[in-house]
Amino acid sequence: MRIVNPTFGQSPAGAETLKSGAVDWAKDPILLFSNSKPNARELLEGLKGRFAGIRSTDGIDFVWKPSASQPASAEQIDGAARRYKAALLALGD
Amino acid sequence: MNDKIESEYVEVGDIDTEAWNEFAQAQGWSDGLPMIAPTEAKVARFTSAVVADNETFAPISPRQVVPTLQSLAANAVMAGCKPEYFPVVLAGLRAVLQPEYNLHGTLATTHPCGQLMLVSGPIRNAVDINCGSNCLGQGRRANAAIGRALQLILLNVGGARPGDMDRATHGSPAKFAYCFGENEEASPFPPYHVRKGFAASDSVVTAMAAEAPHNINDHASNTGEGLITTIAGTMSQVGANNVYLQGPCFVVLGPEHAQTMARDGWTAETIQEALYERSKVHVSRISRENLESWAGQDRHPVADHYYPASSPQHINLVVAGGPGKHSLYIPSFGNTAAASSRINLPR
Repeated sequence: MRIVNPTFGQSPAGAETLKSGAVDWAKDPILLFSNSKPNARELLEGLKGRFAGIRSTDGIDFVWKPSASQPASAEQIDGAARRYKAALLALGD
Repeated sequence: MNDKIESEYVEVGDIDTEAWNEFAQAQGWSDGLPMIAPTEAKVARFTSAVVADNETFAPISPRQVVPTLQSLAANAVMAGCKPEYFPVVLAGLRAVLQPEYNLHGTLATTHPCGQLMLVSGPIRNAVDINCGSNCLGQGRRANAAIGRALQLILLNVGGARPGDMDRATHGSPAKFAYCFGENEEASPFPPYHVRKGFAASDSVVTAMAAEAPHNINDHASNTGEGLITTIAGTMSQVGANNVYLQGPCFVVLGPEHAQTMARDGWTAETIQEALYERSKVHVSRISRENLESWAGQDRHPVADHYYPASSPQHINLVVAGGPGKHSLYIPSFGNTAAASSRINLPR
């Protein structure tokens, strides 16, 4: 029996995947991304504190969604992808 | 979901119904209930039912892929739809894909919202959608299969897999199927879609990311004023997203309540205005921590009250159901919209 794949979908026009390569956690710029729920910021500040013990925190920045109930905008994600080598996401709640 | 299967067709071998369902369950394609296998022949019957529909679809969150008509039809087949239901399913999908609906947020949230589908207009009778007794319950194939089809599309094409991209804390029975029709024949008010600007001859699906219905029991009030008091009191609750995110909600009046209100001179618009004002929540009922959190999100009370809708017009009033002294309050995700889409019917 041959069936139609119920999960099939096509990538939207213009969508592309970039490979960033290996991350040097001791030097590369890192983004701390909050989902804007309660305590997400506190989780990320804890992470930044841990980083401070092993590297300079220059280049480790915070960003947060405008609203916990909406996804980050494409512009926000694209901007993060351009500036940072890695992003750590905190899902507070 | 088995991401290795990337083609539009899958050879599953010579398997029986039980084996098919085991296979589908293993792939993550199921809502837990048995499904019909979407063979090429069955899917072709569905796509031919919408041959005149040339509107394209936006990418579906959270996977952000553009569906094909075949993959959408496959989900409708699996849900138990008849081919004539498929235009309704597609209109429901187009409604939730409207940007103001915030589909990604409503699927990825911890909140227990399902995709409510209200069907208005002539299609209700043409495909036998239940608008009367038990219209939000079991028993009618069109309601069950159409609502289920949209949920399966969001699961399988959209990728809103429970515990993965669907992060609901508890979920809701409303996430299996949540489709009903407006009881236009028993309503004293103009049809919902006409009040939204559509023609009476149009058939329309309106979707909202909604909690399961909350009952409003009022057997004693025999005046519109009394009913407004009970309905507004039911809407005035501190644990709903609406209280701080506002947004839309639905009030589904049972026909008996609606007739009582109309007899006393209430219109759909005056009901909306009265409910908006009288459902507001005083800050004394809200915890100090919540007040602080909401203030931090720039959500402030108005004259010491929070309103559970963005405006009177965001209280979407519709008449549905059968005999009985019950109505329903349906809160939403908050940051969403009651989005409507006209059904493209074959000419």
